[in-house]
Amino acid sequence: MGKGCMLKITTKEDLTKILISLLNDFEIIGPKELSHKGIFYESITDLKDLHWGEGFTTEPVKKFFLSPSEYLFKGRYENGQEALEELPLPGNKRIIIGVRPCEAIGLSLLDKVFNAGEDQDKFYLNNRARTILVGLSCLKPDKNCFCTSVGGSPESSRGLDALISPVGNEFIIEIITERAKGIFESLGRNLNQEEVKLWGSDKKRREGSLNFRIKVSENLDNIFESEYWEKVSKSCISCGVCTFLCPTCHCFDLVDEKRKKLRCYDGCAFCDFTLEASGTNPRAARKERYRQRVFHKFDYFKKNFQENLCVGCGRCIRFCPVKMNIAEVVDKAPLV
Amino acid sequence: MVDELKAKVRELLKNKQVELVIGYQRAADGVSVIPCFVENEKDAELLIWDAYCVYNLSGYLKDYPGKKIGIVAKDCDLRSIVVLLQENQLKRENLFIIEMECHGVIDEKRLKYDTQNQEINFAQKCKGCPSAKLSIADCVIKDKGEKRKTPDDYDEYEPIRKMEAKAISERLKFWQEEFSRCIRCYACRQVCPMCYCPKCVAEQTQPAWFSKGTNLEGNLSWNVTRAMHLAGRCIDCGECERACPVGIPLRDINKKIQKDVQELFSYQAGLSAEAKPLFACFDKKDPDDFIK
Repeated sequence: MGKGCMLKITTKEDLTKILISLLNDFEIIGPKELSHKGIFYESITDLKDLHWGEGFTTEPVKKFFLSPSEYLFKGRYENGQEALEELPLPGNKRIIIGVRPCEAIGLSLLDKVFNAGEDQDKFYLNNRARTILVGLSCLKPDKNCFCTSVGGSPESSRGLDALISPVGNEFIIEIITERAKGIFESLGRNLNQEEVKLWGSDKKRREGSLNFRIKVSENLDNIFESEYWEKVSKSCISCGVCTFLCPTCHCFDLVDEKRKKLRCYDGCAFCDFTLEASGTNPRAARKERYRQRVFHKFDYFKKNFQENLCVGCGRCIRFCPVKMNIAEVVDKAPLV
Repeated sequence: MVDELKAKVRELLKNKQVELVIGYQRAADGVSVIPCFVENEKDAELLIWDAYCVYNLSGYLKDYPGKKIGIVAKDCDLRSIVVLLQENQLKRENLFIIEMECHGVIDEKRLKYDTQNQEINFAQKCKGCPSAKLSIADCVIKDKGEKRKTPDDYDEYEPIRKMEAKAISERLKFWQEEFSRCIRCYACRQVCPMCYCPKCVAEQTQPAWFSKGTNLEGNLSWNVTRAMHLAGRCIDCGECERACPVGIPLRDINKKIQKDVQELFSYQAGLSAEAKPLFACFDKKDPDDFIK
């Protein structure tokens, strides 16, 4: 728990009541289970739909900040002159509830790219500013989760406005930011000192319960030319599942469509990822493309921002059509 | 079965009949299955075979042009190899096909939701698997276990008939909703052994045939185009639907086209390597009512 944090304990009923009252002013987005499809972030109008249980959403929360396809501007003709027309930015306020700690860390990492000094992405920042993030700590990380190996934890509150942890039939709410305080302050009661202590030890225990741990080296400089990449990339089918479902992957492609400029997700696994207009492709084989993914996450980004561009959410392993495992690839990298 | 498989693969590599065998192995987590690329006799030990060996590995064959490759294949995989041979994408003499007698594979997505009913957990595609045996394999490894039988009254097109009975507006609404989830990751395309175009229509920019954005126009166009390009070619391995991370019932679209192809041309893809591909030949009896 950070400085200035507030800890509250409340029941599901009271929490639900508050959320219902918030529906007047906010769009509430949260995980909803769709039979035979999985869990998805959906706009919630009936709080009964909110999935409080175990499991992880297929798509990360990223898509509410970095849209899979964003119209940036529109071109038009006016009195024989070309003109650019800005498209209005959405202004409605949102609360995204049930965000897993790893995904919130993912947003903190994206901030470093899209809110970097002079380089401000107004679309991303507008989405950040109009959204309150309420996390849900993980009671049962699954076999593909490895957040503790990359600086995260099932209880991390980094990047969140508030974090909810289910404890028995009740919820402990860690209120982190001022704007979350305005919403949750009146809820339930404060934790007494004994409870705070107990909760602290419970947190530690849960962090320790994550079995899947990998070693991540400082950099991968020595093995750029290694045969290792050929070997580990053999089964890659070059689809976009790992990159599109990744909470931190942010490569995009600019496309012109009907006089509009469109920004779409792009992914390093695709054959045409770095295809140039001349027909040259510096990453023509999947070995080079897969290596790019690993290096961007565990080398280049770290050199620029002192952190891995991976939060250990496990999505790329869980949803890979051929179960490629980036964690294992990094763990077993033959460093010399 | 698996011992026989390992022995065969060792023999093939030892005699230099093939340079590489593509099969299945267990992932490090001890549960998942991953593709296995065996290049030496020692690695043959990694091979496994069970109902979790779902992937259709024939898509990897195009990665090794001119090389002699061994491949572990189930019934559905054999059908896709047949189509690839028909369409001149593979050379038969470069292939060594090890057929595994298959009694059906597991549907992991269903396994998660219907934990009670073991029968349901078999992939839907396995229930209607054509019983006609293909004899293109170089060796067959038999399963001594009891065969799962398809009930005589099983109608593989039942869900399609139900859909066809609905009003067109209702169908459109259903598919619009399904396609609205599409994230355009193209896993359906990449996992499909038949999607081997060097430049996919979705990647073309001059002209761009449909929107690259995840909007209704782009998503609907992509998914319909993908399915139509598989008319008379899809062999119902169900890989597209399995790979789809957002759970779009892609197999149903393919199945509808499969049904139309069968009704119009009495043709089923992947059953004969000697037959000409459906749309590569012309017959006077072909239906032409669409020409007005």
